Parts: sequence; structure tokens; C-alpha cells
Amino acid sequence: MLDRIRAVVRGFRNRNRLGADMDDEMRFHIDQCRQDLIRKGMPPDEARWQARRAFGNLSQTQEQARKAKGLPVFDELIRNTAYAVRQLKRAPGFAAAVIMTLALCIGVNTAVFSVIDAVMLRRLPYPQPERLFDVVREFPSGAITSQDGFAWEGLKDGNSYTVAAIGGILGVNLAAGNRAFYVHQQRVSAHYFSVLGIPMAQGREFDLAEDRDGGPDAVVLSYPIWKRFFNADPSIVGRTILLRGSPFLVVGVSSASFIPQEEVDLWTPLRPSTKGEGGGTNYQIMLRLKPGVTVAETQAEVQSRGAAVFEARKSSEPIHVRMSIAQFDKTDQAGLRERLLILWAAVGVVLVIGCVNIAALMLARGATRRREMGTRIALGGGMGPLIRQLTTESVVLGLMGGAAGLALGFAVIQALHRWIAEYGVWQDLRLDSTVLLATLALTLVVSIACGLAPAIQAARVDVRATLLEGGSRGVAGGGSHWLRRTLVLAEVALSLVLLVGAGLLIRTLLHLENLTPGFDGTNVLAASASLQDARYADTKNINRLFRDTTQTMEKIPGVQGAAVALHLPYQRWLNSGVNVRSGTDSQDREVGTSMNYVTPEYFSVLRIPLRDGRLFTDQDSSSSAPVVVVNETFARKFLNGHLSGYLVGKDASRQIIGIVADVQQQPGLQRSGPLTPEPVVYFPATQFPTAWFQMAHTWYSPSWIVRSAGAPNEELSRGIEQAIASSDPMLPVAEFRSLIDERNSALSSQRSNAWLLGFMAALALALAMVGVYGIVANSVVERTREFGIRMALGSSIGGVIRDAVAPGVILAALGAVLGGGLAAVSVTVLKGLLYGVQPMDPLTFVLMSVALIGVSAIASLLPALSLIRLEASSVLRQD
Amino acid sequence: MLVLKAVSLGPLHGYGILLRIQQISASLLQIEQGSLYPALYRLEQAGLIESEWGTSDNNRRAKFYTLTRSGRSRLRKATAEWNLFSTAMGNVLAALPEEI
Repeated sequence: MLDRIRAVVRGFRNRNRLGADMDDEMRFHIDQCRQDLIRKGMPPDEARWQARRAFGNLSQTQEQARKAKGLPVFDELIRNTAYAVRQLKRAPGFAAAVIMTLALCIGVNTAVFSVIDAVMLRRLPYPQPERLFDVVREFPSGAITSQDGFAWEGLKDGNSYTVAAIGGILGVNLAAGNRAFYVHQQRVSAHYFSVLGIPMAQGREFDLAEDRDGGPDAVVLSYPIWKRFFNADPSIVGRTILLRGSPFLVVGVSSASFIPQEEVDLWTPLRPSTKGEGGGTNYQIMLRLKPGVTVAETQAEVQSRGAAVFEARKSSEPIHVRMSIAQFDKTDQAGLRERLLILWAAVGVVLVIGCVNIAALMLARGATRRREMGTRIALGGGMGPLIRQLTTESVVLGLMGGAAGLALGFAVIQALHRWIAEYGVWQDLRLDSTVLLATLALTLVVSIACGLAPAIQAARVDVRATLLEGGSRGVAGGGSHWLRRTLVLAEVALSLVLLVGAGLLIRTLLHLENLTPGFDGTNVLAASASLQDARYADTKNINRLFRDTTQTMEKIPGVQGAAVALHLPYQRWLNSGVNVRSGTDSQDREVGTSMNYVTPEYFSVLRIPLRDGRLFTDQDSSSSAPVVVVNETFARKFLNGHLSGYLVGKDASRQIIGIVADVQQQPGLQRSGPLTPEPVVYFPATQFPTAWFQMAHTWYSPSWIVRSAGAPNEELSRGIEQAIASSDPMLPVAEFRSLIDERNSALSSQRSNAWLLGFMAALALALAMVGVYGIVANSVVERTREFGIRMALGSSIGGVIRDAVAPGVILAALGAVLGGGLAAVSVTVLKGLLYGVQPMDPLTFVLMSVALIGVSAIASLLPALSLIRLEASSVLRQD
Repeated sequence: MLVLKAVSLGPLHGYGILLRIQQISASLLQIEQGSLYPALYRLEQAGLIESEWGTSDNNRRAKFYTLTRSGRSRLRKATAEWNLFSTAMGNVLAALPEEI
């Protein structure tokens, strides 16, 4: 068998040389024979003649020999390919249409597949990623990766694995030279890098002494930051740098090849514990199996250790959660995966529509080539070669389209980058072998599938009828049209499915964008800065900074007011439980709420209306009576809507003095939608306890907001920067944003859903319309004679055009009905992505169907309009 | 099979194979020259023989054929089958009326 394969390969490789070889060999044979004859005494001339005769017909032998060598397969392939290219050159319009359609379909598929590859298929860029796991809490409803300090305590001394904990990422201030920079810090425990399997470029990672409460401050720099701020100086390890306003010892520099999952510039010790943030589920715990350990062993160990943790902290309720492990980085992708699969399905539909289009084009072309086929068959051309020929043609087209699609795919990735980036793709999108193979496979399948059906139809030509019909080309042949019309009907129906899906997502986005904001964000500019900083460790320093900077900002010409707050509307706010004592309840109640600290001008800068009571004033200071303001949702849920009651807690009893209107926020506690008002307690910044400031500032950077008379401009942002610098030159502004920016980032996933599916739906619609156009154009050409006769007999031009357009519109209407049914079934997959609109939203269905039929009517009208210029007399003279 | 046998005795070029077959069959079997090459190529395509360019006795460029491993085993099998067949045929044809 091996010998045989080798022989075939050799045969193919040498196929060019082969003719000459064979010639040489046979000539040698004849020569030898001649010489032998001469030796036997035959005269030379006689010998040559005799030798030739003995050998027989040279070229016939060679032809037989070629067949014996199995060359005709290759010969035919090459002949077919050359013929296909010639054929396509002769029909450039057809070829261009097919190649462009293919390029579009394969382009979007390649783009989406490269995202799927980067997110779901490609291995993590860490050594042995299959041995890397997240510790997850499995609830009956699903798994989460969030863990608390108690879980960490229970799991940190595992036998079968090494383990590390990860905290959040937040901007911090790094001093380099005499300037300060805003950089991204991630807090991680000891062993973080060894669990990931990432070596250090310099130094080491954190040790247990540094990763303990009260341990020495240490930092690991990322390779790019080391190069950018410290000129890649190896002696930086062992020196201290000024970070978060205090000295940190640089213990290491991470490897240049390390790709973190999010943008991180440096790492500081997490110091996981059961106190502070560790009291809640604010960590992620990951582990790597020790060598030789099986997944099941570690799974069992984590489960039993987890059970002990839950048992020790059991309340009266039964435990319905268990600790488990799941492949690293996969758990939090559940929602992402769903959206990606929907997107994939959408591009799949676009692909199917494209295929249908191409098949319809091929059918149309097959019809025009019927005489060619008929002639070939009549002359004795076999069915097999004919089908092979047609398939070769479609594969040639397919490969050309595939190549164009690959290029286009990357253009699509660039064009849609904004929305694709939103999918949390942290590994770069690239054309790796997986994507290339997938595209190639797709191309071949598509081109063969598209080419085969028409090829068979073309090959099943009734020779006699075809050749005869050619003679009298008067009647419109109707029989072969049903297949093409069915195909176009299918693509119209499919495009309606995408249109309805996109319509629903667009309505979701519009609904969310038009929610009553509860405040007025026009002409307000926000700037944030990190206060996770040793110089702002207590409430006195923080409030001095707030007072000085806002006073300076208010002096900027055109500024109407300035304030500072931990959170702005549209952001995700700090959550906590508080105890409420209200007049209507006999007992204190613990309730979950969002919290925010604000300076007194916050409400006036954002124009948040006061509903009852009073707002904060400058008189609410650290020495006056503790007060809070709540929002309407809080009052409705916990105070029966009345201004009354106190927040009672460990440090003070705070009187509720006012109720303000709700603003839109990203919910933290319940997942009722991307934006919704939550219960809120506002604290005056002057009365926010130091410990709360510290905890809040490890998770969030506060924002300065300034209302100006006109639209915010460069000058205003420079003024804000100077105002902060005049109070503290080493406090860098992280970024300037408008409230619209905040809203857009809160709705980024809804926006990308709407745009991407809208894009696919537009593509699908365009392809379907090409199909409708083709049907009508074809029938107009075929019925030109009929129309000419009718016009000659006195039909009005309008009537004729109406008849010409009719098949397109009828097809679209049928497609709309069919697609409506299909959409009704398939929109249920979008359920989790819709807000403020039902999957079966009648308005969307009707609007999209009407749009579809309207566009189809236009697509049908275009070819029909050529009838206006039709001269009845010339048509009748034609034959 | 004849070709395989001829080639099994050592590398040969096409004309040589022809001569060898004539020689070992004592000129009883004549192969038509023209049909030799298609047969050779079929065998090569099937991977039973291999070819290589070399120099002939009189210093001319010629293509030499050798038996491959699968060619050798095919020859062995074919020889065994032929022997069985020819023995059987021989016995049948040699049978005399009185032996039945």
C-alpha cells in the first residue's frame, strides 16, 4: 500500500518530466533492438525499420502508457481547471457576483469564527492550561467564581494542588521621576505566577510574608511598565518605588511573554483574609494540579474542603451550594458564549442565504449553458466528466471567493473592532491554523454544495428538447424555474428571521437609552482619580482634597458647580447591608442597598430633584449630627414612602433627612436589567468613616463632576486638571468622561448586540434582494417577447410593469409569511438579551415584514423598468 | 507475472526485460513490444516495481526497473498460485481413461 501511494505521488510530482522520460525510454528500446539486429547481420536501414515495426505504434503506446500511469486524473483536473478559468473569464459578471457573495459570507464567518477561536477554542497562553482550574461555587442555578476569605482559608493548604487568590483591578498612582501616572494594579496572592506557570523576567513573585496583613509592601512590575518607566533597568529589583503614595519594594518583573487576561501594569499583594473585603465574595481562587494528580482527586479534595467551609458557616437554611473546580477562565464566559453562539448562528444564516444566492446564480447560468451541455452530451460527452467539470468550476470560484473572504474577514474584524472588543476578547484575534482550516473547509463545502445541485440539474438535460428549443426560442420555459424560486423564497424567509432578531435588539437598545435618567447630564464633565493612596488614608485628608479642588474648579470661568462622589449614574455602585429603623417598624431591619458618598453640590450639579426633606449642606460636617439622604426606591421599599427613620449601624445612628429622585445605575444585587434604579443611601463625604473610604477606594476611583455653562471643551478639562494639580501635583487624573460615555459603557454589550446583528441582517437583506432582483430580471428577459406583443395589442405600460414586478413581490410576501413563522420560533433564543420588549413584539414583526416587502418591491421594480424603453415593433421583428 | 519474474532476477531496462523473458522462456513466449510499456507503468503505478534512471551496458541513459517489497510478495503469491494451477492442469490433462 505504501509503495503504491509513493508511486502515485512520484507520478504526480514528475508529471511534467514524464512525457520526455517516456519518449527517451522507448527510443532507447528501439535503438537497442536496432543494434541487436545489426549485430545479427541485418543492414542498418533495414534494422531501423524492423525495430520500429516490432515496437508498433509509438504514440499509441505512449497514450496507453499514460493511462496506465494514472495520469488522466491529473490531466483532467488541470484541463478542467483551465477550462473553468476560461469559462469564468468569458462571464465576468457572473464570476464577480459569485465571488463577491462568497467573499462577503466567508468574510463575516471568518471574522466571527476568529472571535470564537480566540474566546472559546484556543488554549490559554499558559503552560499546561488543562491543569489550571477556577474554584467555583456551584448552585443549582449555575456556577460562580466569586469566593470569600473563608473559602480561601479552607482551601489554601491543599495537598493535591497549588493555589492562588486574585482580587480586582483598579487604577493607582505610580510616581516615576517627578511625575505621577495612573496605572492599572491587580492585587494577587503569593504563588499567583507559579500557579499560572509564568516565569519572572527579574526577581521573584510575592512570598507569604508579603502576602499577609501588615506584611511589607511589595510590587511586581509588568514587563512593558518596567521598560517604559524604568528603562528595563535590572537593578530596580530590590529598590523601592513610590506607589499609592508610599514606598513599595520591587521584588520582581513579570515575563515579557506574559499576557494577562485584562490590562495590568503591576501587581501588589492581595493579602486574602476573612476580614474586610474577604468577608464578602470578592476574590477569585485558581489552582493548578500538582504533577501526577488527576482532576478527580483534586475535585474530591476541593469538594470536601468546601463542604467543611460551608458547614462551619452554616445558617439555619439548608446548604444548596458546593465547591467544585472548572477550567480556568471558562466559567464567567457563560453569557458571552451564549451571545457568541447567537452571533455565529446569525452569520451562519447569512452564509446559507449567500449559498442559496450562488446556487440560484449557478442555476441561471446552467440555464444559459443548456445548449452547451446538450451539445456536449449529444457529441458523446459522458455525465461523469460533465459533472466533474461543473464541480471544478464551482470549486475554482469557491477558492477565489474564499481567498477574497479571508482578506475581507480581517477587514470586517477591523471595522467591527469596537463591538468585538466588547466581547472581552483578551487573546489577540489572528488567522491561526484553526481559523484558516475552518475557512478552507467552509469554502470547499459551500462551493461543492452550491455547485453540485445546479450541475446535476444541468447534466440531466434532455438533449433533444434542449437542442430543439434552441430553434424556436419564443416560449418562456417555465418548468425549471420552480427550484430557483424556492431558493429565493428560502433566502427571503431567512433574512426576515435576522431582520426580526436585529429589530428586537435595536428596540432593546433604544428602550435602555431612553430610560428616564433621573438627572441631567448635559454640560457635565467627569474626571476620575485614584485615592487608593497612603496620602489619602483618612477622612480628614480626603475631605480637604475634595474641598480645595472643588473650590478651585468653581472659580474656572463658565463653571456653574463642582462636586465629588464615589459613584456617578450609570456606574455599578458599592453594595452593602444596612440596618434600618423606621417609625413604622417595631424592629430594626437589615436591608441590602447601594451606597455613595457625595459632596453637597452633587445633587445640584447633576440636577437630581429633591422629593422630600432637605439635601446636604456645608453644615453637615464630621462634627455635626450624622445624616443620610436616600432615593425614592429606598424610601418606597424600606420606609413606606415616607421621610422617616434612621440607619443604625456599628458606628453611629444616622438620621434620614431627605429623599431624592432615582437615577439609572448598573444593578449590583438583582439582575433585573442592564440599567435600573436600586435603593440608594447617600452619605455626606464629610461623615463617611475612614475604614469605609479605604475599602471603597480599593475597588473604585471617585469622580469629580463639573457643570459648565456650555458644552465641555479642552479648556475645561485642562482647568480641572490644574485644579487637582494645585492641591496635589502628584495626583494624576485617570480619564475625562461625559455622562453619555458612562451610559454607553453601561450599555456596551446591548449596543454591540444591536450593531452586529443589525449588520448581519442588512447583509442578509442585501443578498436576498440580489436574489429577488435576479428572479425578476430573468423573467423580464424571458418574457420580453410576450410583453412586446401585449403592448402592441394595446396593454398599458403600467399594466405590463405590474405583471413583471408581481413575481418578485409575491415571492417576498410568501417569504415574509414563512419567515415570520420561522422568526417566531427562533426569537426565543434572544430572550435573555431583550429588555423592555417581548420576543414576540408585534410592532417589530410587522415593521420588518413591511420593510422586507417594500425593499423587495424596489428590487423587483429596477429590472422591470427596462420595459419602459421597450419598442414593441423591434421585439416582434427580432426573430 | 512474467515481468515481475524477469525483474526479480536483477534491475533491468525495458528492452532487457523483453530479452530476459525471451531468454528464460527459451523463446517460447514472445511479448509484443508495444504492450510491454503500458504493462510496466501499470505495475509501477500499483507499486509493485520501481524505476530509476541509470546507465546501460553500452553507456547509454536507460530506465531500470527493480522489484519493490510488495512486488516481491505478489510474485511469491502468484508463483504459488500458478504452480498449483499448472499442477492441477497437468494432472487433469495427463489423466488417462483407465485411471478414472
